[in-house]
Amino acid sequence: MLDQFANRSTPVHRLDPAAKAVALLAVVLAAVLVTRDRFLPLVPVAAGLAAYHAASRTPIRYTLRRLAVVSPFAVVLVVLFPFLEPGEAVARWPVAGGTVVVTRQGLVRAGHLLAKFVLCTWAALLLLATTRFQDLLQGLARLRVPRVFVTQLAVLYRYLWVVMDEGMRMRMARTARDGGLGPWRLRFRSRVGVIGVLFLRSWDRAERIYRAMAARGFDGTLHAPRRGRLRPGDWLFAGGVLAASAALVVGDRLLYG
Amino acid sequence: MAEPSVQLDGVRYRYPTGVQALDGVALTVPPGERVALAGPNGAGKSTLVLAMAGFLRAEGTIRVAGHRLTPGTARDVRRHLGLVFQEADDQLFMPRLADDVAFGPATMGLAPQEVQARVREALAAVGLHGCEDRAPYHLSVGEKRRAALATVLAMRPQILVLDEPSADLDPRGRRRLIDLLAGLEKTLLLVTHDLDLAVETCERTVVLDAGRVVADGPTREVLADAALAAAHGLEVPQRLAGQGPA
Repeated sequence: MLDQFANRSTPVHRLDPAAKAVALLAVVLAAVLVTRDRFLPLVPVAAGLAAYHAASRTPIRYTLRRLAVVSPFAVVLVVLFPFLEPGEAVARWPVAGGTVVVTRQGLVRAGHLLAKFVLCTWAALLLLATTRFQDLLQGLARLRVPRVFVTQLAVLYRYLWVVMDEGMRMRMARTARDGGLGPWRLRFRSRVGVIGVLFLRSWDRAERIYRAMAARGFDGTLHAPRRGRLRPGDWLFAGGVLAASAALVVGDRLLYG
Repeated sequence: MAEPSVQLDGVRYRYPTGVQALDGVALTVPPGERVALAGPNGAGKSTLVLAMAGFLRAEGTIRVAGHRLTPGTARDVRRHLGLVFQEADDQLFMPRLADDVAFGPATMGLAPQEVQARVREALAAVGLHGCEDRAPYHLSVGEKRRAALATVLAMRPQILVLDEPSADLDPRGRRRLIDLLAGLEKTLLLVTHDLDLAVETCERTVVLDAGRVVADGPTREVLADAALAAAHGLEVPQRLAGQGPA
């Protein structure tokens, strides 16, 4: 579960979701906007996230595990940089008549991108780890995110588990019959079949959900009641992170620009 | 006499696949009556419910709480017709239980205090007070079923329609449901093939088969009729065995 630690009660859990969402946006923008190939500007970002992480008392394993799940995407994106970026060679291999060169500049570029990716993902994970999803949706609604997106996220979150459970049951039912054995071609076909059936079932379910909503007068908006107001602490937090992010970007420009 | 809660006349519906699911259903339910709608799988029970709420455009006349159902009045009709669907997961779509129960009253445009009052009342009625903050997905099957009922009760419909409410409930969950239904003072239409449930909650039973009403009368008489049961894919409930006509 993404928000399995979100029910705890620490000062950062109690912050308003809207304030935390704004802070996340500021941190991500700052991390993206700082000068490329320079690691120093990323240090304050990492320090801020580490402080927040410590305050939330979220187990480090939670964050590491989820980072590990999404990292392959980033690795695929940066893996070619060391070979493509021109510059000073640190290694060369003869391959099929030519030479493959790894450059120092390429390694730095890849490492920097990877670091940015890790920081942004970490920030997003911390938001999810310290905010219950339904509260986050309310925060987004408060920030005037269009209703259709908030509604869509709410429904996605609600039914993701239902669809995953369904897929899991179908997989078990299949494995119970073929024992995970059999020619790979057949297994591949049955796997594709599971996905297809899952899609059709979800389609049917969407229709049933719509009916259940319409039966209760649904007219396109989810009227979720608002809870709570922004307190001074929320303003302070969001304002502080915004100011620090802005200062970081400006400082970076002055230093390297 | 007060206006009937439900009045159906010559209701027909054919699915695009060609199956004639409803073939001239006529049924009148006076206010406050509890009616079980029984019948084998594929008899047209669920189709009838969907047609009554205007989700399927059936031929014939459908009147709910005095409103004649047309595409333009479907919204008014649904206000009076509280539909509890077979699969509770489809009905509970908000990430927080209290918000889900508040959904109907809020879409009716009630004031926030009134909405909150109705949420409390409905959750208390189904024995789920204190669960306001829970995620519907993490409720047990029995709790989900009761939560789905609460979402509809909060709208205070004149008529309550439940589709297979006892399916997959364990004996305790089923017993709670029966007690709950027995305590409600509403017109009740119970679609079920749990005939013991019908005996315990409904004074009248209508048997539907192949899209037609094949029997209509006091539950104990209709369901004790072994010949009728055999002809329409039902079984005489244990508690009524041996009481039917010879």
